[in-house]
Amino acid sequence: MTLAPTPGLTVVSLLPKLLNTNGDAANARVLAQRARWAGIEASVVPVHTVDDLPDSVDLVVIGSGTDTDLIMARDALLPFADVARAWLAGGVPVLAVGTGWELLSGGLDLADGTAIDGLGLIAGRASSLPARATDDIVVAGDDVRLIGFENHARGFTGARRPVGRLISGTGNGDGFEGSVAGNFIGTHLHGPVLARNPELADRMLGLACTAKGLVRPMSAQADTADDIAKAARNQVAVRLGLDAD
Amino acid sequence: MSVRYAPAILLGRVARTLARWRKPGGGSAVPGLVVNAIAPGFLPRTLNSFPGGLVIVTGSSGKSTTTKMLVAALRAHGSSVFTNQSTANISQGLTSALLEQVSLAGRIAGDIAVLEMDEGHGALISGSLEPRVVVLTNVMVDQIDRFHDSDMVAAMLAKIAGRATGTVVVNADDLHLSRLGDGLAPTVDVARYGVTPEVLAANPRGLGYTLTSPTRLLAEDGMLLSAVDGRDATILINGTEHAVHLPARGTHYAVDALTALAAAQAALSSRFDAATAVTAISTIPPVFGRGEVVSVNGTTVEFVLVQNPASLQLNVDSLAPNTEQILVAVGSDVRDPSYLWPADTSGLGHVLIASGSKAHDIGLQLVYDGVTVDRIEPDLGRALDDFLALPEPATGVKTIIFSADSMRRTRAHLGLATNEADPT
Ligand SMILES: [Zn+2]
Repeated sequence: MTLAPTPGLTVVSLLPKLLNTNGDAANARVLAQRARWAGIEASVVPVHTVDDLPDSVDLVVIGSGTDTDLIMARDALLPFADVARAWLAGGVPVLAVGTGWELLSGGLDLADGTAIDGLGLIAGRASSLPARATDDIVVAGDDVRLIGFENHARGFTGARRPVGRLISGTGNGDGFEGSVAGNFIGTHLHGPVLARNPELADRMLGLACTAKGLVRPMSAQADTADDIAKAARNQVAVRLGLDAD
Repeated sequence: MSVRYAPAILLGRVARTLARWRKPGGGSAVPGLVVNAIAPGFLPRTLNSFPGGLVIVTGSSGKSTTTKMLVAALRAHGSSVFTNQSTANISQGLTSALLEQVSLAGRIAGDIAVLEMDEGHGALISGSLEPRVVVLTNVMVDQIDRFHDSDMVAAMLAKIAGRATGTVVVNADDLHLSRLGDGLAPTVDVARYGVTPEVLAANPRGLGYTLTSPTRLLAEDGMLLSAVDGRDATILINGTEHAVHLPARGTHYAVDALTALAAAQAALSSRFDAATAVTAISTIPPVFGRGEVVSVNGTTVEFVLVQNPASLQLNVDSLAPNTEQILVAVGSDVRDPSYLWPADTSGLGHVLIASGSKAHDIGLQLVYDGVTVDRIEPDLGRALDDFLALPEPATGVKTIIFSADSMRRTRAHLGLATNEADPT
């Protein structure tokens, strides 16, 4: 696609006008800021149509939208099916939150009995929960505890591998939360999940840097931000009667 | 109106006295609950009984300012106005406010009633109300947990607008409201207001509406806001330009003034005098808790209330340049810490203290937006004391940006009068 690789990292924020109800598009800002703090050039490219796509894509963030716009968002995503398939196959780290994740899956079974086809790029599908889940959510991931906020009416079935086991909250509706496929992460943890859980951000950044042959040094600014994030997470943990980090 | 409400009114007054006695300054909903339970028809009957009718102001944001401005404009025309400016928006609070003034025969002195109504509660209680004028400010995605999406908010506003018997006043720049105006029954008039292309262009992020109309209103189709410069605005009414002085800097206050003028014209019809209304609006004091300038032990402090991500963005963008001392406090009313993230806070540059029970969450956002945050202090009382003890800033005034919950706590801590109108 490109002749000479760009020196820094390019973070694509996919459909930020349609899919940013809870500030999920801010996750692109979080990735770019952490890269800059580490001395790596980084830019966020808002992509509304395929014409907006930059030559080189190192990281991708897709947020959540409102249910009223589901069809519109799906139709806006359709032209990206081939390029998204290439990202997933090529190991580009992708974070998809809420409806952004659901629309990449097999489809959505809505409460009124109708269904919306997804792009079919991610195993599984979304289906209605008995009640809307609006609360703090705590997940035991591979080697890190994730804390976020969820606000969704659908769970998820058929994920090949979850992000983790639920400690508190609703998640997929089956005791687990999220779906992982290679370097893809789908989650109900909405809003700035990467700011609150920087291990997840650094996992994505690490993969992108390795792919680009970049070395990511430590940064004092990230340490400061991560202390704040830890305090914010611990506040939730303590309120839920869990141990602090 | 008959005397059959007298027992309920008396009981409500007793309950009000008891509520005050138990909790000074509080308990405003209790007497309303008593009356609404005993005489459920009291609230709508009383509100529908004003000779000049009922005006309802509703929408996602700008309700309080618009209501105050409208009341000032109506009073300047000699109208005697009943309004709920010092009470909560909910029906119990409204009933309590009515109890303050109602006679035992169930009558209130006043020509006209102007009520600010929360869009959610408005839709609940508006089924029994017959407003002559309904004023719609805008649709913003507000309080995500409660309303979930903007279409739902628009639907609630449509329900309230559907009760209007005379005129519905709509913001033509808000696509949801513009469409709502197009769909109203031909028996009601639609009065439109909007900004000129120049005013919109001066706000590159837009005006904060969920959907902005693709085209601007023409002067022959309604009132226009044609210029904003700091606290001065120019509004075009029936071909004449009027200079309006605003209670605080920013396009959103100018739009509030525009809305109030369009509403005053709808409420007063032929009695409306633009110059009288403009003078009244230009002299109202800064609005409670939003760009409000207060003096604390001789130190000048500006309070900026943030009610949703759009208002955070507007307030950040309209902050006086080089404001040197800023405290940001977000409290437990922001249940979901993601809530404010759609706003870009980088314009704040340097925040001395992030505080409130969500201090860490707002601090995290500020840091990622590249804002220097000197200190995170969840104890709001300590944060306020230390902030106010700092030497006077070389530029700007000490500025406190807060959520509604932190505003209430700030006022309590500083011993400033609390106002029941403070949003919950
Ligand atoms: Zn103190």
